[in-house]
Amino acid sequence: MTFAHPQAHKLIPAATVLAAALILSGCTSAKTSNDPSKDAGAPVTGGTLVYASGDAEPSCLDPHVGGNYPQALVASQYLETLYTKDADGKIIPWLAQDSTVTEDGLTRIVKIRDGIKFTDGTALDAEAVKVNFEHLLNPETASSTGYLALGKISSMTAVDATTLEIKLSSPDNSLLESFSMPWVAIESPTALKRSKAENCESPVGTGPFKVESWKKQDAVNLVRNADYALPVPEAGHAGPAYLDGITWRFIPEAATRFAALQAGQVQVIDNAQPDAIAAASKGASIKHLDAPRPGAANRIELNSSKAPFNDEKVREAFVHSVNVDAGIESLFFGTASRSYSPLSSVEPLAFSEKSLFSYDPAKAGELLDAAGWKDRDSAGYRIKDGNRLTLAFPVSTSQSIPAEQSLFEQMQATAKESGFEIKIKLLDISSWYGDLAKNDYNLVSAPYTKVGPSVLSILFHSKSTIPAPSGYFANLSQVKDPTLDELLDSAGTTKDPAQRKELYTEAQKMVLEGYYLLPLYDQQNHFLYSEKLKDVGTTTAVASPTFFDSWLAN
Amino acid sequence: MSPSATTSTRQGGALKASLRWLLSTLAGGIFVLWAVATAIFFGIRMIPGDPAAAIMGGPGSQASAEALEAARIEYGLDQPLFVQYFGQLRRLAVGDLGTSYSLKSPVSEVLAEIVPSTLVLAGLALVVAWLMALLLAVLSTRISVVGSAVEIISAAVPHFWLASVLIMIFSTALGWFPPVSTNTPGGLVLPVVTLALPLAGFLGQVMRDSLEKAQHSAFALSARARGESEIGVLLRHSLRHAALPGIALSGWALGSLLSGAVVVESIFARPGLGRALLSAVTARDIPLVTGVALVSAGAYVLIMAVSDLAERLVDPRIGEP
Repeated sequence: MTFAHPQAHKLIPAATVLAAALILSGCTSAKTSNDPSKDAGAPVTGGTLVYASGDAEPSCLDPHVGGNYPQALVASQYLETLYTKDADGKIIPWLAQDSTVTEDGLTRIVKIRDGIKFTDGTALDAEAVKVNFEHLLNPETASSTGYLALGKISSMTAVDATTLEIKLSSPDNSLLESFSMPWVAIESPTALKRSKAENCESPVGTGPFKVESWKKQDAVNLVRNADYALPVPEAGHAGPAYLDGITWRFIPEAATRFAALQAGQVQVIDNAQPDAIAAASKGASIKHLDAPRPGAANRIELNSSKAPFNDEKVREAFVHSVNVDAGIESLFFGTASRSYSPLSSVEPLAFSEKSLFSYDPAKAGELLDAAGWKDRDSAGYRIKDGNRLTLAFPVSTSQSIPAEQSLFEQMQATAKESGFEIKIKLLDISSWYGDLAKNDYNLVSAPYTKVGPSVLSILFHSKSTIPAPSGYFANLSQVKDPTLDELLDSAGTTKDPAQRKELYTEAQKMVLEGYYLLPLYDQQNHFLYSEKLKDVGTTTAVASPTFFDSWLAN
Repeated sequence: MSPSATTSTRQGGALKASLRWLLSTLAGGIFVLWAVATAIFFGIRMIPGDPAAAIMGGPGSQASAEALEAARIEYGLDQPLFVQYFGQLRRLAVGDLGTSYSLKSPVSEVLAEIVPSTLVLAGLALVVAWLMALLLAVLSTRISVVGSAVEIISAAVPHFWLASVLIMIFSTALGWFPPVSTNTPGGLVLPVVTLALPLAGFLGQVMRDSLEKAQHSAFALSARARGESEIGVLLRHSLRHAALPGIALSGWALGSLLSGAVVVESIFARPGLGRALLSAVTARDIPLVTGVALVSAGAYVLIMAVSDLAERLVDPRIGEP
């Protein structure tokens, strides 16, 4: 070692101070002004919106194929549906004009709107809708979500250009709700004749944007549909969209996504995390869109098909042993409200029963004692006949956000006090489905998005415990109750809205009071966007935002 | 023996040695590629998930039994495992990488699109790491404590942490560089630095040892005695010695850059081999995983050969009989 320069040693602390100063100045610059910006001023035409999605890139842009939420998000820009939801949550016609059903509920006539064209020039008519539904029901399409939604269709006839007659195998009062989902959106029948690969690359619809190109692993480029004709005067303006196009990017890392929004590289991000939302709320340059998804609330399901949860007392004890509210409060920064219902709060028929879900370790202890789990082992866990009270909890890291994973860890800690050993297993999605297919779980949290209360049948009907060939089944609490089945069947077929409400309420009561599930909060669907992007907030029936009315201020 | 005869024998020997080196490198390379293809083939079948379900839209899909069966037949998944294995080896031997399950396009096309992006990233990172390492090595011969501290810290820093900190400072606070990587010079800075810094720390540590030894060696002393300046000694004599272990490690370095690319490409949302590998593994996309692994292994083999060659050029004693 030779002639060390004394001044060089001072460089390190100096650099540290500089870095800290830079970070601090970044925090302050994020909250420059506090004046709320209104979406005032005349809309500006032009500009390309860059949207950054945190979801995995879809393998197919046609949401008929498969049918998941990331597909719905992007497809909502270029495909439209027969029905949609208005701002009050009411189902209203969109590409359809209206629809009637026969007295026996077995025939539905759908009137299709006249004069609408797909972006390839093909006209929208009853035959086109028929071709779409056939495409969805064809096993080669491999539709899962759309296929389920149309499951009761037995045959279809295009009576004339604007009239489609649909025969059903049994009455289905959720059909119009099903028609409002992007997974059963209507595509050009001409385009559907192409190969599956081609249609996956560039599906053709009637929407305000169309797919121009898709550079895989990078971005989908959407351009304005210059000939766009609005089906109904529901939106803020007539004519084509203001934006020239949308660049739909995939940025998996949440922190990068938020940094890109702050840096102005993108104007909208989805899957915004609680910490980012809280940080953004301190300033005025980034705005927040909270759009809870319809269908089921996020919940933990208790697998009643095997010990220890085949004993209702143990299920009830578990529900009282976990402190959910404290966890949500500390981990979600006020971005999520506690749910006490199997259904999302945006579902008009959601029924809540708060009193069932109190945090009450004393009661949990009593129930466990009564169920025979009296003794504790050296680690403090309860035992019965030499077996520890252990709960396997496979968690999908792609479906449960970090805050939710932390919530599960907090629940694990509080349940331990009552003597439950929760074994959380963080898994990638394939391995997670693997554990479910093997019935290797006691607790599980799985999202399910669908429009309308009929999601209850998918989640709690005994039919849904029968696995699909891929091993997948939706009834993860594995409740098999003939009374409940009967309730769900009648609720789904009755023509009387009041009776439908009553029956679905009864069904929700049964699963809540049977402690088959622990509701957490609505399925979180948060977007952050630049204040330069105006008139954001319109969403489809599944709460995916549309940017037809949006414009970029200069 | 005449001087010319000695030269020609020596040249003949060198030629033979070079040929032997080339053949053994080639054979070694083929062995590595075969081993990688085999390990991937059997390894990916041990993790849970049905490849047929992966083809039909991923896990949780409600594909019918008929659709799954059709996919199995189409992709040959109904065949016995060893038939599939040899079939795959045969196809790989003629350069057929198959079709990606998740992207539904030929793996060779997918790779052609993303490989350049990763090569640019890894190549730049290697160059920058080398420059930084040399600088660190030279610096630390003068101010040893600071140099080695910087080296140790940067060698130990994980990519994801470094990436987050760089984004926080240079994107969010200063706004100098974009957080999402682009192919403009500015858009490459953060990912390249993230990849290069830990590597530079490592290379610098190795180089410093040799450099210090060289600086105190007899030839450095004699060079100084001849009136060579300190800089001249460093540049003309000592650095050459210091570079040797660095070059030898460059093959290993490329391997570390490719694995680092998985993290860096995901964080900076940059298309490339690493990001493709991550999503392919998640989607159980066997052909794409195999393709990415083979390309990485091929690059590794190639850079090993090149660094071996470079070592021979820098130090002519290597490979002499």
